[in-house]
Amino acid sequence: MSYYFVIISPTDTPLFELTFGTSKAGGDGVARFRNGETARYMNQFIVHAALDVVEEVQWLSPNMWLKVIDNYAPTNSHISCFITGTNVRFMLLHQPSAITNASAGSRSSTISSTSVPQNPTSPQTEEAIRQFMTEVFELWVKTLMNPFYTIGKPIKSPVFRQRVVGAGRKWL
Amino acid sequence: MAGAPPGHTIPSYAASHAGSPSRHMSQYPSTTVTTTTTSSSALVSGTPAPTSTLSSTLRYPSTRKTIYDRNLNRSRNAELSRSSFAYLFMEMVSYAHRRVKGIQDFEKRLNEQGYPLGLKLLDLLLYRAGPGASSTSLTSSSSTSSSGGGAAHRPLRLLPLLTLLTTKLYPLLFSRPADSLEQSTTNPAEYMIIDNTPLTNQYISVPKEMNQLSVAAYIAGIIEGVCDGAGFECKASAHNTGTDVWPNRTVFLIRFEDHVLEREKELERQGVK
Amino acid sequence: MASGQKAARVGEEVWKTRVDKVNAELVTLTYGTVVAQLCTDYEYDYVQVNQQLDKMGYNIGMRLIEDFLAKSNIGRCGNFRDTAEMISKKVGFKIFLNITPTVTNWTADNKQFSLLFDENPLADFVELPDDGRAQDELWFSNIFCGILRGALEMVQMSIEARFVSDVLRGNDVTEMRVTLLRYTEDEMPPDDE
Repeated sequence: MSYYFVIISPTDTPLFELTFGTSKAGGDGVARFRNGETARYMNQFIVHAALDVVEEVQWLSPNMWLKVIDNYAPTNSHISCFITGTNVRFMLLHQPSAITNASAGSRSSTISSTSVPQNPTSPQTEEAIRQFMTEVFELWVKTLMNPFYTIGKPIKSPVFRQRVVGAGRKWL
Repeated sequence: MAGAPPGHTIPSYAASHAGSPSRHMSQYPSTTVTTTTTSSSALVSGTPAPTSTLSSTLRYPSTRKTIYDRNLNRSRNAELSRSSFAYLFMEMVSYAHRRVKGIQDFEKRLNEQGYPLGLKLLDLLLYRAGPGASSTSLTSSSSTSSSGGGAAHRPLRLLPLLTLLTTKLYPLLFSRPADSLEQSTTNPAEYMIIDNTPLTNQYISVPKEMNQLSVAAYIAGIIEGVCDGAGFECKASAHNTGTDVWPNRTVFLIRFEDHVLEREKELERQGVK
Repeated sequence: MASGQKAARVGEEVWKTRVDKVNAELVTLTYGTVVAQLCTDYEYDYVQVNQQLDKMGYNIGMRLIEDFLAKSNIGRCGNFRDTAEMISKKVGFKIFLNITPTVTNWTADNKQFSLLFDENPLADFVELPDDGRAQDELWFSNIFCGILRGALEMVQMSIEARFVSDVLRGNDVTEMRVTLLRYTEDEMPPDDE
C-alpha cells in the first residue's frame, strides 16, 4: 500500500504532508503510486476533491473519525478522513500496489487478502488507519498547545514529522 | 521569520516532477519540493530518516525530551497558586493598557489574546473527552470496541456546544463549571454564560474612569475561539453585572451569526443531535 | 542545611494550607500567550522580549513579596545564603509555582549562586520557534529573573539574575545565576516603569 497523508486547515491550506509506503508484512515503507510521476499532483487533487464529501457529512455525524469517505477508481485510491474539533481535516489517501515489487513480492502469496498492506477497505485496514489518525490527533494537540504554533500555519517541527512517520510505520 | 521557511520540505514521490505547476491547488507549496541532494532518497520515501532534521536548526537536550514526549494529561490536575495567575494576568492587562486607546480597544485586545487559546483548547477538550485519551500512546491494544470513535464527539448543535463551554471548558480553566447558562428572551441568537466570581476580575481594580471595562474580555475571547473553531461563528463579550452579593458577577454574551441559526434549524429538521 | 529543611517544611505547609489554587494550565497557557504576544509586538526582537519579561517579573516580584511575607509568617532573612534558601528556593517558588528549584554552585564569597529548575510549569508545552535565533536569544522564562529581582529589592537586596541555560534551548539543565550586588539599606525602591 502507498499512502499520501495531508493535514488541511479550515481554509483548505495544507499544513503538513507526508508520503509513505506500508511497513507491514515486510514492506519497506516506500510509496509506489501507480500513477507514477504525476502522483504528487494527482494525490493532492484527489484529496481536495474529497473535501467536498467531508463537508457533506461533517454536520451529520459528530464523529471525528469519518472512515473512508471517498475513492478514486482510476488509480484505485481510497481516502479516509479524521476531522478535529476545529474543522482541521486529516486526509489519508491509500492505494494498494498495482504490481508486486521485488521486495514484497516473495512474501505476497502468504499475506492474507484482508491484510493492511493489500486490502484498502478491509476492517483491519480501517482499524489500522483509525489508530494512525488517533495517534496523529494526539501529536496535533501537542503542536497546538505550543504558544509559538500559530493556528493555520504549516507545521514545521521536525519532531512532529518524525512522530507521524513513526505512527505510519507502527500502524500502516 | 520572513521568507519561505526552508524547513517546510515536502517529500515528493518524483523529484524530477518538482516544478509541476498546480493551478487548482495553488496553496500547495509546489516550489518547496525537496531539492536537497544529500538525503533526497531518504526524503522521498519519508521513511528511513528517523532523525531527519530537514533544515531545522532546533536543538534538544541530550535526553531528547520534547513536547511530543510529554503526556497531554500530565498537568491536567496540576495546581499553581491563584496569585501566580493574578499577578501574571495583572501584568498582561497593564501591558495591554499601554498599547490601546479607550475601553473598546482595550477589551478588543484582551479578547484577541484569548481567542487563539479557545481555538487550541477545543481540540484539547475533545482529546481529553475521548475514550482512548490516556492510552493511545501507551498501549497498542487494538480494541475495536469503538469503531466509530477514537476521539470524542464534535458538537454539531448549539446545546452540546454551550454545554461544552460551561461543563468542560470552564472546569479546564477554573476547576469548576460556570454558574449558569441562559438564552436571551428577546433574541434567539443570543446566549449568556454567567460567572458570579470570574477569576480575572478578582484581583484587578479598574480605575473609575474605566468602570465599563471588563477584563473578563480575555475569557470572552477564549469562549469566542472555542465557538468559532467548532464552526459556530459568533461574537462573545463580557459585561459587568455586579450585584451586592456578587460584585464581580459577569455575563458573557454570545451572539451567533445568522447562518449558524439557519444550520441549527436545518439540523433540527434532519434529526441531528 | 538546617535553614534549607526548615524552609522546605514552611513552603510545603504554606502551599497546602494557605494558598488559594488555580489550574496550572491556565497559568501556563496565559504565560505562553503573553510571551507570544510580546514576540509579535516586538517583531521577534528577542532581546527586547527578554527585557519586557524581566520588567513584568520585576513588577510582580515587588507585589509578591508582601504576599509572601504575610503568608509564610517568617521574618526577613539574615544573610544572602538564608535568603537564597527561603525566597528563591523553597518558599518563594514553592508557594507561587509549586516547584522547588535546587540552590547550588555558590561562589566562595557567598555572593553568587545558581537555581536549577528540574521542572518549570511555564514552559510545559513550549517548543521555541525554529527560526535559527530563538534558541540563541530568547529566555522564555525570563519573567523569573524579574520576579527575583523585584522581590529581593523589597527586602533591601539588590541582585542581578539571569538565565545561563535552558532546556528549551537544547541545554541539559535550566539554570539561573543570581548575584548579590549590594544591600540597599533603607533606600526607597525605584519607580517601576
